[in-house]
Amino acid sequence: MTTQRHNFDTQPFLLEELPPVARFSLRVRSANRGALEGALGLELPDLVGHRSTRGQAEVLCLGPDEWMILTPEADRDALVSVAASAYMQIPHSLVEVSDREITLRLSGPQALTALTAGCPRDIDAIPVGRGARTLFDNATVVLWRDGPQDFRMNVWRSFVPHVRAILDKVMAELKSGL
Amino acid sequence: MSRYRIPGKGRVDPSAPVTFTFDGRRYQGLRGDTVASALLANGVHLMGRSFKYHRPRGAVTAGSEEPNALIGTSRGPGRFEPNTRATVQELRAGLVTESQNKWPSLAFDIGAVNDRAYMLFSAGFYYKTFMWPRSFWDKVYEPFIRAAAGLGKSPTEPDPDTYASRNLHTDVLVVGGGAAGISAALVAARSGARVVLVDENPEMGGSLLSDPSIRIDGQGSWAWLADQLSQLRAAGVKLMTRTTAIGYYHQNMLGLVERVTDHLDQPPQGAPRERMWHVRAQQVILAQGALEKPLVFDGNDRPGVMLAGAAQTYLNRYGVKVGDCAAVVTSHDSAYYAAFDLVDAGGRVAAIVDTRPTVRADLVEATRKRGIELLTGHTATATYGRLRVKGVRVNPVSGSRVGAGRKIACDALLISGGWTPSLHLFSHTKGSLRWDAESRTFLPDHKTEACQIAGAGRGLWGYGPALEDGVKAGMAAANALGRNATPTGARVEGDRPGTGTSQKELPTDRSAGKAKAFVDFQNDVTAKDIRLAVREGMRSIEHVKRYTTNGMATDQGKMSNINGLMIAADALGKEPPQVGLTTFRPPYTPTSFGAFAGYHKGATFELTRKTPIDPWAEAHGAVFEPVSLWRRAWYFPKAGEDMHAAVARECRATRASVGMFDASTLGKIEVAGPDAVEFMNRMYTNPWTKLAPGRCRYGLLLGEDGFIRDDGVIGRLSQDLFHVTTTTGGAARVLNMMEDYLQTEWPDLDVWLTSTTEQWATVAVNGPNARKVLAPLVEGLDMSDAAFPHMSVAECRVAGLPARLFRISFTGELGFEINVPARHGLALWKAIHEAGQAYDICPYGTETMHVLRAEKGYIIIGQDTDGTVTPQDAGLDWAIGKAKKDFVGKRSLSRPDIVAPNRKQLVGLLTEDGSKLEEGAQIVLDPNQKLPMTMAGHVTSSYDSTALGRPIAMALIQGGLSRMGETVHIPMPNGTIRAKVTSTNFYDPEGERLKA
Repeated sequence: MTTQRHNFDTQPFLLEELPPVARFSLRVRSANRGALEGALGLELPDLVGHRSTRGQAEVLCLGPDEWMILTPEADRDALVSVAASAYMQIPHSLVEVSDREITLRLSGPQALTALTAGCPRDIDAIPVGRGARTLFDNATVVLWRDGPQDFRMNVWRSFVPHVRAILDKVMAELKSGL
Repeated sequence: MSRYRIPGKGRVDPSAPVTFTFDGRRYQGLRGDTVASALLANGVHLMGRSFKYHRPRGAVTAGSEEPNALIGTSRGPGRFEPNTRATVQELRAGLVTESQNKWPSLAFDIGAVNDRAYMLFSAGFYYKTFMWPRSFWDKVYEPFIRAAAGLGKSPTEPDPDTYASRNLHTDVLVVGGGAAGISAALVAARSGARVVLVDENPEMGGSLLSDPSIRIDGQGSWAWLADQLSQLRAAGVKLMTRTTAIGYYHQNMLGLVERVTDHLDQPPQGAPRERMWHVRAQQVILAQGALEKPLVFDGNDRPGVMLAGAAQTYLNRYGVKVGDCAAVVTSHDSAYYAAFDLVDAGGRVAAIVDTRPTVRADLVEATRKRGIELLTGHTATATYGRLRVKGVRVNPVSGSRVGAGRKIACDALLISGGWTPSLHLFSHTKGSLRWDAESRTFLPDHKTEACQIAGAGRGLWGYGPALEDGVKAGMAAANALGRNATPTGARVEGDRPGTGTSQKELPTDRSAGKAKAFVDFQNDVTAKDIRLAVREGMRSIEHVKRYTTNGMATDQGKMSNINGLMIAADALGKEPPQVGLTTFRPPYTPTSFGAFAGYHKGATFELTRKTPIDPWAEAHGAVFEPVSLWRRAWYFPKAGEDMHAAVARECRATRASVGMFDASTLGKIEVAGPDAVEFMNRMYTNPWTKLAPGRCRYGLLLGEDGFIRDDGVIGRLSQDLFHVTTTTGGAARVLNMMEDYLQTEWPDLDVWLTSTTEQWATVAVNGPNARKVLAPLVEGLDMSDAAFPHMSVAECRVAGLPARLFRISFTGELGFEINVPARHGLALWKAIHEAGQAYDICPYGTETMHVLRAEKGYIIIGQDTDGTVTPQDAGLDWAIGKAKKDFVGKRSLSRPDIVAPNRKQLVGLLTEDGSKLEEGAQIVLDPNQKLPMTMAGHVTSSYDSTALGRPIAMALIQGGLSRMGETVHIPMPNGTIRAKVTSTNFYDPEGERLKA
């Protein structure tokens, strides 16, 4: 399901704005990682850039003590509530940032090339199924590589128009074939 | 076929003529030509006028180092570019070109009078001529220098082209697609490494393109080249032509500029003109080759005089002979091959004049066989002709004696002073150079980056050694990457080995002081200028360079630096390395601003952040102002209102009934964890331990120096959770500062910080009717003053949305700030606006916010503070937790200068004449003192206050808090204004309205 979709088969890449999900920033000391995994029923990968999936929840490790969690909106309250009950035993910070960011999806034959227009990181070196925090132009973004040419990019809300405007320019550039 | 085109020669396409104009005249060239090669094919050598003396000049090179043939090019409206190198610009249909620095015409140029007055323009003439009288500087000298600066005209229209950027990661980047670069790239690629090969020319091959007679592995060099390129492609090498490596930065990051469309007749829609590549390479191989040096003698700049290697390139690559009868003056073997190729192609060479007394026997023999006269041990002392060379005067040299001169007629003079390894990119890395006494040149020495240097770029000569060296560099790069590389060998037949000697200016039998022997063609620097600089006391090459401007033109001295150094060293009686070499800096060649700007043009010039409520403000006619990266609604004018009227109305409406304000840009940080309160105690000046959940407090943040950094209202949502707000511009800075302390000073604290600035949209509702507007919208909270007093916070629902509701005020009125998830911000705004209609709710902007807070004396960080203001200075010592053991900046607050009595302190000002003060105006205590007066402070904020019916101001004044009631003076251009020092709390000082 998408809120916006342009379907042109010949496009160098397809840019979609994905519908909102419940999104959380989780912080916990690595000593308590295992305990919190059990309490939340999630796997918290211990390597930066690694991801895990449990049911419909996705987790991306962004730092030694930092994870981003995505869940369907229907599961938001449940997650908040199990985290709250675990808090006294396992101190941590679970902050909802669902509205802080908007998720763009880039897919299609030149999706990776389009990202290299703005991301200084070696995008090609991110294995499928992993993610990374990086920049797109001036915006801090979190990238999820879902396929060889299939990416999700979380962009802070007010940066989205700028990121989209640059991607529009990149689209015109790639369409020119040069 | 043009007069000077040789059928069957060159890599141009004889079946594809291309028409272009130069100074209004139509010419025909061929596909594959540069503007320079096409003009030369038509017999045109005169392409421009020099910078200082307006001397006639022609192309002296065939590459990007060209100092002379700089032209204006136009590719249509708005697409004019000055100083394009004719030797680089490829021909395209309909290209319009023009010469520069001439009036009224290229052939007859009034400015050439400078050439006769050359005595006035000697080295350092700027410093000498434009010194006195002082009063001449602004009106005469500076305008003159500015008008004379630069060659071409700056474009006046906006650039309609687009520019792109790209990031590229690779294992190996090879710069230079000549023999060495190609063999390096192939070896590295076959080891399995990702390899990128770049070259600034339209096609790969480097000097091989100008040497078709060489045979490699049994093939002609061009066939071998084509074969290698297909092997490179098969090995997965990314080949990038028309791409210049402009800079080599830290950790093997290089900038490349790709010229995408300048060579195309009809660029496809949407194609960028240029693309900047940011390349990060594990290993870099520099195979940039070498640049030929001119010889320095009187008249060496005449059109028709060019580097021998350039003539060879025009002949073999473009099929153009540069004249009917050439002469050669050289100190290097390479020029012989240019002469041989010319003769073998049916041209005439009158003589080869060699400065060296003896020459390799095979060269002598080959010269004799072709019937070319050979004069060894000779010097050149003059050229003949005006707009085109007609001859060269040569003299025998025996020891230090220069014999009688003899004229050799020629219409092209090919010169070679040897070759300089291209060290530019290596120098960008701060790699050190080593003076090679034998070849009398600098060579790369100690490396600071993971790079290899191969071929002529490190002083090797000939295709055999270059190919072999490329293989070595490719192996070294592969091995450094932990890969196994297999060496390859190439068999070169008919190689063109060569050596030469390095020269200062050539000896002459005439007055050296009158010789116009050019070292730097682009900046018109002669050998005698450099000697004059030394005579006048310059000892370092850096001083000689600045005094003479040698090497300071856009070619960065590619041709002139070494010759200049040789002459300076000779004048100083020192070895060249003792005199030094000037630093090469990026970019390698002139680069367009567009390439640097990339996508940052027009709407994407700079990021503009907008709040979720911004569309409403825009639809309702708001005028915006930028606040850090945000654009914020400044005021909402109604029809016919100016800013003053709109702001006055917004202020009145808010104080009389209710106003609403988009506060979404405020920075927000969630501080969570068992040690949250301890962390807050350490960061902020205020005490937090006793702040109950559900309550708020104004927080003041200092730097370690005790000066105010930021402020904001902070709500305690639960025992372990704080909702911190920061100023709009301070959001990122405050979070960074907090993280810095947390990670480096207090890693033991169990507390985590999360930016929630964009999670929440925030609407502030202020005014006596604020509660009446909101109450019907609020669920799950008793909003009465008793249940929810000033400085309270609660989670509830507002307009059906989950919300964090604060009762706080930045206006002095009853105030609330409602935070809802950002996606609902606009819905919340509209709901409040709708509900507020019964109370004539007034949307207001940042200007009204500023006025209302100033009436209450609330400070704005960065306006009323400037990084030198302490809490006491700002009258905020009440915000300091006196009993606290420590907080950031506490110790500084007891420093003697911080507690000194006469510091500038924030006070209110009311003018006696009722005029509004100018923000930034200086304040004096005694208006009758002598000039310059002692300034006691300045106005920080000043507004017309409708609530008070008069203007108000805030100011930082020395000892201001002890001057209450005193009169200070503000000298302005139209007289001095008197003002009374007051409290900053102008309106409702008892704060009764907050309690409503």
